[in-house]
Amino acid sequence: MGTVEVVKVGGVISPFRARAIVVGRRMQDIGLQVFHNKTAMAGLIILIFFTVLAVAAPLIAPYGPLSAVPDVGPLTLPAPGHPFGTNQFGYDIYSQVIWGTQISLLVGVLAAAVASVIGTAVGLVSGFVGGWIDEVIMRFNDVVLSIPWLVLMIVIAARLNYLDLVGIILVIGLTGWSVTARVVRSQVLSLKERMFVERGRMIGSSNTHILLRHIFPNAFPLIFANTILTVAVSILSESVLAFLNLSVKSNVSWGRIIAEAYQHDALTIGMAEWLIVPGLCIVFLVFGFYLFGYALDEILNPRLRRR
Amino acid sequence: MNAGITIFGIICLNYLLIRLMPGDPSLSIIPRDPKFRGLRDYMISFFGLDRPQWEQFVIYLQRLFTLDWGLSYQDHRPVADILLHDLGWTLLLVGTSTILTVLIGIAIGAYSAIRRGKPFDFVSTGIGIFLYGMPIFWLGLVLQSAFRKNSVFQGWIPWWPALPTSGYYDDRLIPWNWDILHVADAFLHLLLPALTLSLGTLAGISLVMRNSLIDVMTEDFVTTARAKGLSPRQVLRRHILPNGMPPMVSLIALDIAFILGGAYQVEVIFRYQGIGFRTIEAIGSLDYPLLQFIIVIGGAAVVIANLLADFLLLWLDPRIKIS
Repeated sequence: MGTVEVVKVGGVISPFRARAIVVGRRMQDIGLQVFHNKTAMAGLIILIFFTVLAVAAPLIAPYGPLSAVPDVGPLTLPAPGHPFGTNQFGYDIYSQVIWGTQISLLVGVLAAAVASVIGTAVGLVSGFVGGWIDEVIMRFNDVVLSIPWLVLMIVIAARLNYLDLVGIILVIGLTGWSVTARVVRSQVLSLKERMFVERGRMIGSSNTHILLRHIFPNAFPLIFANTILTVAVSILSESVLAFLNLSVKSNVSWGRIIAEAYQHDALTIGMAEWLIVPGLCIVFLVFGFYLFGYALDEILNPRLRRR
Repeated sequence: MNAGITIFGIICLNYLLIRLMPGDPSLSIIPRDPKFRGLRDYMISFFGLDRPQWEQFVIYLQRLFTLDWGLSYQDHRPVADILLHDLGWTLLLVGTSTILTVLIGIAIGAYSAIRRGKPFDFVSTGIGIFLYGMPIFWLGLVLQSAFRKNSVFQGWIPWWPALPTSGYYDDRLIPWNWDILHVADAFLHLLLPALTLSLGTLAGISLVMRNSLIDVMTEDFVTTARAKGLSPRQVLRRHILPNGMPPMVSLIALDIAFILGGAYQVEVIFRYQGIGFRTIEAIGSLDYPLLQFIIVIGGAAVVIANLLADFLLLWLDPRIKIS
């Protein structure tokens, strides 16, 4: 309740301060709702688990991601010391799975951030400005949405001959903003008609001011929930690209481990863990983002609230 | 009108995208070898690769609209023939699993919306989100390993079935005939790819259906309908479903693009040589004629699906008017 004290003691406070307090309260309120929402908490716990795994990978993983282990050769079956065995180059698969968390999480989050920023900007402008600009943007959006996304990604990924981390993030981010743009646009279209926008106009606020100060903050919760869901999609995209050998070459990701397991017929040679574990990791991480994202959507979207 | 503009946009972007890919397409027509110099020059001019870009673009447009789609760089067969053959198999795969997915997805989604908060809803939504997060290619790999000959499961359970895991029918049955043997074999080969694609896309439909219905259930007219004493079944049939279905129609149409993306992965995994398999191959070999018409067909399919959905909506929802 310290914030309340500030208001009383300060008497007159700057509008920025007041705004910060209001936003802070709102965040506190949302945080409390997340805390009491079982689905959101389940998702959050999964996300925290994988984040810890990614950050602490150098401490947890017994071996490096791309270095042959000294004690056994390539393609050894699971054994104590190498719980999932070693791959065709003699790398420890258990360590690879742990290191893979870093790439999958990093690419997923950053690509979703890129997609969300572009999608939000496009959606805001398109919905707010309207007219022919909206028309042009939406037609272009339709075109991008209609070309099979996998082909779009593969062609752009193939264009960037050597894919580093930044390259793969851009490929996924640049092909993934269309849905966000649509969601934001429809939200803006409804916010635009609300009373506070009219009041803003009445006191002579500029369009930029209304867009950035009234419409964007009101659309933000939805954008945030949407971004969380986009992270899940981006992680899946990365795994597909990695499976097709079109992802980061200098580091290991879960998709690449699955691809290698597939090429070496892991299940037949008795190394089921090689194929199954990285796949389950993808499923659980994406599951975590979906759980958290949907729960957040339910909390933030008043229409979905239960009576 | 809009659909026309979108398709034209696809046609242009498609041309640009393909030419932007790195590499020299003439190398996939004929290798660079001093022995073939004369032939090579002839082939390059035969396929028009020596002309300026704008001229190639005009030729591309001409070809597209006259339906004379030229020859594939790879095996020098007419693109139209290749695509017609592939399209049949892809339609079989995508059609089967789309119908399955839509029917089962809507049923599950509706049932869990009615039982919101009950165990069925909890379990089906949980499994749904779990499946939703599964990479389709991985699901395919796991199913393939589980149902192949001499799979691990066959060691444990004697009656565990083995299903065909690659191709669209047995190589020993080539060439194709319309008899019971071929049809049955094609059906067996279809099972795993269709199952993979359905499981991979089912959750999307059922989750959206659930949320869409729940959205409607909070409306005032539903409360009114309950209050005036209609049975739950009547409320569902007369008030909830008619209002919950229209958003589903447009979502299913949008989902077609997603299902196509899944079909590409499934075709690669199961070596089911339809459009998707061919696309990945054509990207690898920079087969421009093949690739450009595949993408146009895929894009046009999505646009047409959306257009059909709009018409269906018009018919389902009398409040929507043609603008």
